[in-house]
This record gives sequence, C-alpha cells and structure tokens, in this order.
Amino acid sequence: MSTASILTCTDLTIGYRNKKTIVKEVSKKLNLHLNRGELVCLIGPNGSGKSTLIRTLTGIQPPLSGEVWLCGKKIGDLSSEEKAKNLSVVLTTPVQAGYLTAFDIVALGRFPYTNWAGRLTESDKNIVMSALASVGADNLACRFIHELSDGEQQKVMIARALAQEPELMVLDEPTAFLDFPHKIDTMRILKKVAQKTEKSILLSIHDLNLAIRCADQLWIIDQNGTMISGIPEDLVLSGIFGSAFEIDGVSFDPIRGEFTIPVEKKGTFSIVAPESIERIWTLYALERIGFTPAEGSMADIDVMVRKDGEKPVWQLCNSDGKWECENICELVECISAHHEGVGYH
Amino acid sequence: MNLDDGKAGNNMRRLDVAIPLILGILVFLFLLDLMLGSVNIPPNAFFKILTGGTVKVTWMNIFWDWRMPKAITTVFAGGALALSGLLMQTYFRNPLADPYILGISSGASLGVALVMMSAGIFGVGTIFTNGLISGISISMAAILGAFAVLLLILLISAKIKSNTTILILGIMVSYISGAIVTVLMQFSDESSMHSYSIWTMGSFSGVTWSQLPFLVILVLAGFILSLCLVKPLNALLLGEQYAESMGMNYDHIRKVIILTTALMAGAVTAFCGPVGFLGIATPHFCRALFVTADHRVLVPGCIIIGGILALCTDIISHVPGTNIILPVNAITALFGAPVVIWVIIRGTRFGRGVTT
Repeated sequence: MSTASILTCTDLTIGYRNKKTIVKEVSKKLNLHLNRGELVCLIGPNGSGKSTLIRTLTGIQPPLSGEVWLCGKKIGDLSSEEKAKNLSVVLTTPVQAGYLTAFDIVALGRFPYTNWAGRLTESDKNIVMSALASVGADNLACRFIHELSDGEQQKVMIARALAQEPELMVLDEPTAFLDFPHKIDTMRILKKVAQKTEKSILLSIHDLNLAIRCADQLWIIDQNGTMISGIPEDLVLSGIFGSAFEIDGVSFDPIRGEFTIPVEKKGTFSIVAPESIERIWTLYALERIGFTPAEGSMADIDVMVRKDGEKPVWQLCNSDGKWECENICELVECISAHHEGVGYH
Repeated sequence: MNLDDGKAGNNMRRLDVAIPLILGILVFLFLLDLMLGSVNIPPNAFFKILTGGTVKVTWMNIFWDWRMPKAITTVFAGGALALSGLLMQTYFRNPLADPYILGISSGASLGVALVMMSAGIFGVGTIFTNGLISGISISMAAILGAFAVLLLILLISAKIKSNTTILILGIMVSYISGAIVTVLMQFSDESSMHSYSIWTMGSFSGVTWSQLPFLVILVLAGFILSLCLVKPLNALLLGEQYAESMGMNYDHIRKVIILTTALMAGAVTAFCGPVGFLGIATPHFCRALFVTADHRVLVPGCIIIGGILALCTDIISHVPGTNIILPVNAITALFGAPVVIWVIIRGTRFGRGVTT
C-alpha cells in the first residue's frame, strides 16, 4: 500500500488460544488497510468478532497468525509508550471518576509526553484546550466529569484520545449510550476530527444507517466471521451489506438504505398524488399498517392526496364508498374501519 | 488558545495555597501534642525546652523520652495510613478500600497473637508480655506476619491479573488469620488475651527512640515511592485499560502500588497496632477538602492531613490533664467519623458527596 496507510494487516487470523492446543478462530485471512484521515466504521452482528478484531488491532491481544502494522511498524514490536503516541482508544464503558474536571481527564491524554510527575507544560495545556475545542467541549473544561451528561462525557473522552496526539484513534461503540441526535453529533465530531487533523479513525458501531452515511470505508464482519471491506455505497449496491445483516423477516431496503420493519400484510393500495412530502409520508403510513402497492392489479383501496388551497386533503376509496380525511391519522382510522375482514387495530 | 488563569488545570495552584496553611496546622498540633497529656507542661517551660533550656527533670523526661517519639510516630503513622488508604482506593477503584484490605494487618495480628498467646500457652508469656523485650518482639512478630501476607499477595498477583480477585483473596486471608487468632484465644490465659486486645486497640505511644528510625525509614520510603507513583495513579483513575493504552506498564505499577502500601501499612501496624479509620477516611476527607482527585495534590495532601488527624486523635486519647488513656481506635472513629461525615456531606463549598 501507499505511504499514507496508517494501519495495515496482512493475512491476519484473529481468535483465542486456550493453553496450547485449543484454538478458536474468529476470523481469518484478513487484509485490511486504513489510510490517513480516513473514518472507518466496523460493523457486524453481535458475536461476529468486532471486539476481538479491535483488541487485536490495538495490540491488546496477539493475533493467531499474520501481522498488524501500525505506522509502518509491527504493533507487537512497539514499546507501550511508542504505541501510545501512535494509537489512542475510547472504550465503551463510561468512565467513573469523581472529582476530576473535564480538563483533568483530557490532560491525562498527555501521559506519554509528560515527565514523571505528569507536569503539563504550556504547550501541553494548549493541546488539551484545543482538543476540547475541536470536540466542542471547551466550555466544559472546568466541570466535573461525573456531573456531565452521557453525550458530554463522550465528547470529553474523544478529546482525551485526541490530546494523546495519535495517528490512529480506535473507538469501541462510541455511540452506544447516546440518544439519536447525540449519536449523529458524535459522528459529526469524529468526521470533522478526521478531516481537520488528518487522524485516522476506526470505530465499531451498531447503527447501520449512521455507518452508511458517515464512513469513508466500511468493514463488515458477518455471522461467519467473513470480512468484507469497501466504501458504503458499493457494498449496498452489490447486496453484500444487506446479506450480512438480514435475519428472519428483517430485510434491507437498498433504495432507502435502511432496514425495514416487517408487518403483517393487510392489502394493496394505489395512490394518486403529486410529488410532495405528503405523498412520501402517506406511503410510509400505508406501509406501516401493512399495505403494499398494487403494482398494476386491482387495489383494495385507492388513496388520493390533493391540495385544498394550502391544506392537503386525503381521499380514500374502496368498494364500499368514499371518504375525505384531514390528516393521516384520520386516513389510517378510516382504512381500519372500512377495510373488510383484516381491519387494522 | 489562552488558558483562563485560575480555572482549568489549576489543581497544583490550589496546593500552593493550601500547603503552607495545613503545614502550619500540622506544626501547631505537633507542638500541642508535645505539651498536653496527663501532665501538661506550662507554656513558658515548654518554650524553654524547645529553645534548649533546662526545666524540671520530670518535664524534661516526659518531653524527650515519652512525648517526642510519640508525636513523631503519630505524624508518620497518620500520613502513612492515609496514603496507603489512598493507594488502595485508587488501585481497587473502590471507595471502601483501606490500607488493610490486602490482609496486611491480619497478617500482623496473627504474628502478634502467635507471640503473645502461644507463649502464654507454653508458660513463658510473662517474658514477652511484661518483660523489656516485649515491645521489640511484638513489633518483630507483626512485621513478620505482615511480610508473610505481602509475599503471599505478591505471589498471587503475579499469577492473577484481576484486582477484584486479589481483593477477595485479601479478605479471605483476613478471615483465615482471624480464625487462627480466635482458636489461639480459646487456649490462652486471660492476661495474654488482655494484652492482645490492648494491642488491637492501637496506640502511638509504644515506640521508643531505638525503634523510631525503623518506622520513619520504612514510612519515608513509602512516601517517596508514592510521590513517584502520582502519574500512573492519575492514569488509573480512568481504569486499567485506559491506563495501559496511554503507555503505562500496569503489571509493573500494580506491584509497586501493592509493595508501597504493604510497606507503610505493615510498618504502622507493627509499631502502633491495627489503627483503623484514618486510612479509609482521610483520602475522602482530602478529596472533599481539595476538590480534586489529582494525585499530585492528594499524595502530599494525604501525608499532611493524615498527620494532622492522627495528632488530633492522639491529643484526645491522652485526655489532657488526666491519667486516662483512651484507645486510639475508639477515638479515631468516635471523633473522626462525625467530622468526616460533615466534610463530605456539607463541608465543601460545592457540597459534593463521596466519589472516587
């Protein structure tokens, strides 16, 4: 690979070795490259070996065979201090440390650079403050870590990893404890960090939609431990993305780029509506209550959306008659009241 | 980016202000401890002794042979207990950890019980308990007991990485030695049982000038080792995995932490008995007082505050102006606990509770 490759593994086999004989291979023949300034999302179902891979790539656990190269050196040959200067981590488990301010926590990231007493020089302090600033947490510097919200704590931990000035940051499920807007915010921060500071970022994540939207590269491990890497869009188009995650009844919609929730089929519909946001959400509503497009054949219900001045009006037709509704809630109630046999409850 | 002065990262500055103040309190209490007791030395006579003058012989004897070694012992023992409590609380990441959690004091107790009571059983108890060599032989027994437990813990920790396992093993060691002591008590005579129970109450008064250097050297070594540990201790606040990811050699550091704790806790137990409470409470007191968990502040802070609290305890236990001597362990908890409760609940201007 080119010189820009920060993390490389060649013919890597990961897994566990018990005593001498029993070997459990989690995944084998891995050839992966992570380039400078790249954000890579590692995704895979539970139990597929994400954590094992992360532990191996960060040198916590030795590989069964093959090599991991960090910045051109074998990770096993690096001293712990050299490794700390090239690689920093953010772990899943929240840190519980009382009486430490956000500044103190981030300052601990300077560990590999400070003297025996951990004394911070002016430049260390500036690095700490700019790390806090680049995750948007500079206003939290004097707050105690145990008084911050989960989202704020996560920012501080990312700032700590950043203050360690590594080439590569590895984050184990950084979005696990956060609500959806904070998940997006965390990913936004990480993308910004990767672009601005040219750091490489590897993170494991369970939010597939988020991973597709944010990652420069996806590493997918499926249930069998097979690893596929590529850019998200290619993986979706080739169908690899869907097949790696589909379980009974849950399928991946390659057009919308998300997994659909299976519902019991109630009937078919046809729709007449101009291209508008009302049309899109009417379709979602019909799909949610179990109706699929009629696709040419005779539909069970006909829905029409039109504008009455500024206000949209929904019109429902079936074999029994015709109804007008003011909003989708009424439409849904109307359908369940008048659709025979398999009424929606 | 300009640092807002006096806000972020000012932990050390806080110490610059506090150190002269608490050192002043320490010196004041030290002098008070020399002055007060069953015989109170009047201030002018006290001042004369300090400046090298001569006063009544009894006062001179009390001052030099009795109170001076006692006060020095108290300061070092208090600091050592507080510091080893801090090390254990950080190492186990558990606010309930104390210096004896590894079983050090149980080992020492077992050693002492063996000397006191088995001697009693074999009919030579009086030599040990009442004779001149009693102090030395008891200290030796305690040191040997503490050292045996330390070796055991170090051997175990070389094999076992999990500190929770080490914690449980330490508690098991305590139970086993407690059980042996109980069995010994069953067979021993009343006087040796009495002297053993006196020993378990703790006392700063038993150390003579000839023993003092051993205690001071061991404890000072512990202080210096702890000061060298401030950076890894801070890293450990984030947990073992983060600490290792920052380049800390956990395997090495944990052994040094265990050794340092055992050194200090073992020395204090050997010379003063199993003095409780100070070790668990002082670190919390210091965190609340300095409003930080930064070990660059807490290590010197615990040494000084530990000394201060121990001096207070000692002054109270020798109820000034009377012949009564109350057990140190009763005083530490009786007077110390309400103070600590007040400080950690209300004392800081932030009103923060205990967190580690």
